[in-house]
Amino acid sequence: MSDARTVGSDGERDGRVTATPGGKLSVVVVVENRELLERGIREVAEETLAALKVKSGTYRVEDNGALDFVIAARLEVAARAVDLKVAPLSPKVVDRPAAERDRPRRSRLYAPGNTPRFLLGIELYGEDAVLLDLEDAVPPFEKEAARTLVKHLLAAVDLPEAWVRVNPLDLGGKDDLAEVLRGRPNGICLPKAEGARDVQALSALLAKLEKELGIPVGSTLVMPILETAKGVLHAEEIAGSDPRVAVLAFGAEDYTRDVGARRTTEALLFARSMVVAGAKASGVQASDTVYANVDDEAGLVCESKLARDLGFDGKGAINPRQIAPIHSVFSPSPAEVEEARKVVAAAEEAEARGVGAITVGGKMVDRPVLERARRTLRLADRLSLEGRR
Amino acid sequence: MKNALGREIPERVGSRRLRPFQGAFATTPSGRKAARYQKTSAPGENKVLASIETAIEACDLKDGMTISFHHSFREGDYVVNQVVDACARKGLKDLRLFPTAVFPIHKPLIEHIKSGVVTRFEGSMNGPVGAFVSQGGHLKEPAVLRSHGGRWRAVEAGDVEIDVAFIAASQADPLGNATGIAGKTPCGPICFSAADAMYAKKAVVITNDLAPYPVTPFEIRQGWTDYVVVVDQIGDPASITSGTLQMTRSPTRLRIARLAADVVVASPYFKDGLSFQAGAGGISLAATQYLGEAMERAKIVGSFAMGGGTKLLVEQLRRGLFRTLLDGQAFDTDAVASLREDRSHILMDPDLYANYDSRGCATYMLDAAFLGATEVDLDFNVNVNTHSDGKLLHGIGGHQDVAAGARMTIITVPTIRGRLPVIVDRVTTVTTPGEVIDVIVTERGVAVSRKRDDLREAFTRAGLPVRELADLKAEAERFTRKPGRPVFGDDVIALIEWRDGTVIDTVRRVVGWK
Repeated sequence: MSDARTVGSDGERDGRVTATPGGKLSVVVVVENRELLERGIREVAEETLAALKVKSGTYRVEDNGALDFVIAARLEVAARAVDLKVAPLSPKVVDRPAAERDRPRRSRLYAPGNTPRFLLGIELYGEDAVLLDLEDAVPPFEKEAARTLVKHLLAAVDLPEAWVRVNPLDLGGKDDLAEVLRGRPNGICLPKAEGARDVQALSALLAKLEKELGIPVGSTLVMPILETAKGVLHAEEIAGSDPRVAVLAFGAEDYTRDVGARRTTEALLFARSMVVAGAKASGVQASDTVYANVDDEAGLVCESKLARDLGFDGKGAINPRQIAPIHSVFSPSPAEVEEARKVVAAAEEAEARGVGAITVGGKMVDRPVLERARRTLRLADRLSLEGRR
Repeated sequence: MKNALGREIPERVGSRRLRPFQGAFATTPSGRKAARYQKTSAPGENKVLASIETAIEACDLKDGMTISFHHSFREGDYVVNQVVDACARKGLKDLRLFPTAVFPIHKPLIEHIKSGVVTRFEGSMNGPVGAFVSQGGHLKEPAVLRSHGGRWRAVEAGDVEIDVAFIAASQADPLGNATGIAGKTPCGPICFSAADAMYAKKAVVITNDLAPYPVTPFEIRQGWTDYVVVVDQIGDPASITSGTLQMTRSPTRLRIARLAADVVVASPYFKDGLSFQAGAGGISLAATQYLGEAMERAKIVGSFAMGGGTKLLVEQLRRGLFRTLLDGQAFDTDAVASLREDRSHILMDPDLYANYDSRGCATYMLDAAFLGATEVDLDFNVNVNTHSDGKLLHGIGGHQDVAAGARMTIITVPTIRGRLPVIVDRVTTVTTPGEVIDVIVTERGVAVSRKRDDLREAFTRAGLPVRELADLKAEAERFTRKPGRPVFGDDVIALIEWRDGTVIDTVRRVVGWK
């Protein structure tokens, strides 16, 4: 029999569950506003414990504005910690559109995996993708609580494209996967990817878990993050290593540390270009690193423009405030859309008339120009179809 | 009897016959306003008294009488407690308190209610006094809550007869001209007390800064003032911020603020001459800032803005975002200083602001207004007075006045607070009826009143996330179980008056839970 175990915190929107093993099963709810809230919290607790087949122990739930799925997650971790027979829950997952390799990914919004107050409402900011982070944003002793919380969040919340950044596979990443896949994320972000073998190892694990959990095998996408010298040098190899790879992301903070560079535009130019070229060689998207200074919108826009010009399809965001500026850069402007329409119309007309070379506005339209125009229109149509801004 | 919103209203309370709410603009006043008391003064008369006790004696304050106060010092006010303590020392009983509002600092009133010094209460209750009164049984009659404009109207109409008005003033002269925006400890406008000073049997100015005659500009006039009491301290101006002036950093709240500003930008009112109201509170402040930035980008110059005055509004005035700032209250010391120094920052009493029984209200000239709520319901009714547990914790402030007047009233609320859904089937208490609410902005989208198809179209065209209120409610409820609900007894604890003196709702005592 193990000792009592406490999970969660008294932070805003969080709950703290203390499980004491042994004895008849009982739930103690501690909450301000008891008359209004106790019953609901008790219901959630009892249903969760029943689903976990917990038969004994005392569960003390202290609430500080936690939503149902947060309470369920805290309870599950506590129950599994004090009773090794308790198996992980597979909560009912909201309907989530299947992952698509090629879709707009102008922004991916990071959210710390164990901090409810930053996670609640994370789906509301108009971002193209959410990245729930179990790696850098979660201290070592909270990893367990975080992966279960992320699982329950994935199950409960109607997220835009949902990604989870797991820990490196040999540093807890395997446990992360086994847990969060039950919440059916669209993709997994692999930090510090350095070669094809890293991605293939992840892919094999994913295939095994997908089979076990009844998820179509191969449906979970992968976004390797290149953030070391090795990773950057192997960009092409990594991008082409597995059909699951849909995006290569660049991580500047770790990269500069790894190579001993300062974070300047020039110092990062080589790495950025490697990531873009590596990605595009295998027809996958490239996503730029995050911009750390949340208060510097002008700096964010400037760096986003640089990334766009280099060929990146989007950029990471660490705060919802960064999404609109990023989208303003990575969305086709009305002028660009207009220009693209002209190019495509001219090309179609030329094809119908059997004419070879064409020009629009005095400029020659060759195949790459046409391809680019078609891509701009696809992105613009997709954004307007989904009402994205 | 039931009022127009279907809320049960008692026929009478004490000696007073109640009129049920009939609609936001359904009643027409007739006859004449109440008459003021005759007063005179001979040259050389000394009005200056040395203590509050002396003033109580000079005014002949007796058991059962009504005393009034303003709330300009907000959480920093010392005068209400000083006066009621003095009344208790004098052995007075059964007083009716008629403050514009009380705050947590006035918690000592609870003991005076328990001991019978105060037995009736009319005014806004923010915090502990409200929570105490919610438990009921201690006041002889239900408390009465009124909006700022509604309170002025009630005094003028003779609904509330004031025996002695005690008026804290940060500067006064010996003849009784007084102000709140100058002196040693300025607290902001005290013009809320102008009605009290005019209509009370006796008016007492209490100051810590007696200045040579004449103090100008004045908000309280010498002709109304019976006595001037000089004390050491009347309040702490640093506490007028009441903690509501922190710009929020919560992403959810900032999202609501952003959407609220976008709503104004997408509305037909976003053009030169725009006028708007912006109160304190994190969301409101952020929305005001975002709106200001949008006005600057679009090179729009507004006609006027309305507070309570804040540093943010003062800065926007100085940057030329609008021509005039109208304020009846100051929520920080920057606003007080600006009222003193800036000729385009205009002091506005509640009569000018929002008196239903008058031929003009500044709130009626507003294009857009941002207001908060503790609850909203599917009929767009808004509650700001009680919480979902039935406790009476907040006053009305200018909520009704602004909502009734503004062409577009925007309620900004999160869909969930803690674990409590904010959008409910039926609000616990109606403060402001749905007929005067146009838009409800939440972090999950924007709901538009059925009467405002024009706005719905404009917002949809602008790509704003327009949603049905019921859908927003359902979405929030997916994340929390339904909370318990209070069961109310027959005992009426408080009346919520609409601006015209009709009763829009009652607050009843909680007798159980379901």
